[in-house]
Amino acid sequence: MISLLADTFFGLFAPPFRRREFLQQLYFVANRSLIIIVFCVSFAAIVTILESSFHMKMVIQNDSMVPGFAAVLILRELAAVVMALLLASRVGAGYASEVGSMQITEQIDALKMLGIDPVNYLVVPRFLACVLGATILTVVANMSCLFSAMLVSQSLLGYTPGMFIASMHRFIQFRDIIFAMIKGACFGGVIPIVACYFGFNCQQGAEGVGRATTNTVVVASIAIIVIDFILSYTFSHLY
Amino acid sequence: MSYFITVLDELGGTLLFFNKIISTLFKKAPKSHDVFEQIWKVTADSFLTTAMAGFFVGAIMSVQFAMLMKEFGALGYLGGLATSATFREVGPLLIAFMLSGKVGAFTSAELGTMRVTEQIDAVRCLGADPMQEIIAPRFIGIIIASFFLLGAGLIMSVFGGMLLGDLFGGVNFEEYLRHIPTIVSPISILSGLVKCFAFAVVLATVCTFKGYSTTGGAKGVGRAVVSTAVTTMICIVVMDWFTSFLGEIFLQIIRGYRS
Repeated sequence: MISLLADTFFGLFAPPFRRREFLQQLYFVANRSLIIIVFCVSFAAIVTILESSFHMKMVIQNDSMVPGFAAVLILRELAAVVMALLLASRVGAGYASEVGSMQITEQIDALKMLGIDPVNYLVVPRFLACVLGATILTVVANMSCLFSAMLVSQSLLGYTPGMFIASMHRFIQFRDIIFAMIKGACFGGVIPIVACYFGFNCQQGAEGVGRATTNTVVVASIAIIVIDFILSYTFSHLY
Repeated sequence: MSYFITVLDELGGTLLFFNKIISTLFKKAPKSHDVFEQIWKVTADSFLTTAMAGFFVGAIMSVQFAMLMKEFGALGYLGGLATSATFREVGPLLIAFMLSGKVGAFTSAELGTMRVTEQIDAVRCLGADPMQEIIAPRFIGIIIASFFLLGAGLIMSVFGGMLLGDLFGGVNFEEYLRHIPTIVSPISILSGLVKCFAFAVVLATVCTFKGYSTTGGAKGVGRAVVSTAVTTMICIVVMDWFTSFLGEIFLQIIRGYRS
């Protein structure tokens, strides 16, 4: 897997650059997942703000900090991780089954025979598209999260949007969203690497493709949570 | 618009299927041997994954809360707050996402393969009810095993939070554990467990339905697996909101205060 990652990095700067393929993959990653991701992330944000209001009432009687608190949790953790897990199950599974069926129908061997590097041909456009798409989707997810949290805090908890934003200002700087974007880019980079690794090492038969798909989702999810932990730990020294 | 209709179609099919499973269960209980086999298979398959995920989720929450609590100077509360947040919200959600990728995909692939190789029709030809013989034991087994796994993940999350609270926040183990009972009430743990149970039911329903209604050969099985993971996640998020909302109302009724 590490060698595949290294090959992908070298392939990024090696011609030919396939622009059309990259745009197609970007459409698949970003545009087709947008509705699902916005929907899920909004619900997760609603639950988060309800729970955090409950907690803050318990510990600190001053509940003007609830929106800020929830916004910090959303920006630093929730939006990026939920987005990445959804992408892993959707995009990662798709890529793994695609590359896996190419492997068992010997299309990848055919590519090698024609003198085309399969890593450069298959992995590099997907990798680029996933990194870029995940970065954009993180920003979209964060914004929709904050918006839905604002709506719910007005309707159920009685904070006006003005109060919400004022309370957010105490906790959140611009660097928070930059860190969230970095997180999103890292998660987006993990997904196609894992998927293509399991796709290239797919066993014969339809069962092999199924196993590759399942393995991809599990390994990518675990990797996302571990990377999230490492990045959180790293960024916490920068605040 | 067509997308919306597809979503409604899926939802209706899933609910009808759920109704069918429940009625089958009340007609005649599944064989205990089959149920235990399923429980064992699922648990042995995913225990390590779940435990690891739970550990890291606890660690992440601990780091985040330590950063926030340093501003207030209330580091003593770190153990209680991080544990409470993990138990009530983040833990069940993320661990259930993990399980939907592992257990859900595995089960729907198995059932889908049975469907496209006509094994389910063979069971029906032999005069047995496939719902009774194949679906019901899996349904019960997945619910019990997932519930157990989610609980194990939550317990692991406490250990992860403890470790990182010590390493990062400078809260030693004893202090971390001492403040857990002050904030984590039994009701918190109960709500976390209710959430776990709801997620387990959702996972079992969706993956058995998707596997059972597979069409179109080997490609169909692949499609069923991908759509299982995505649908389960969406249903889990909606269920999360639903249980949270109901729990809030329930608590207000019990305690008699207005928030």
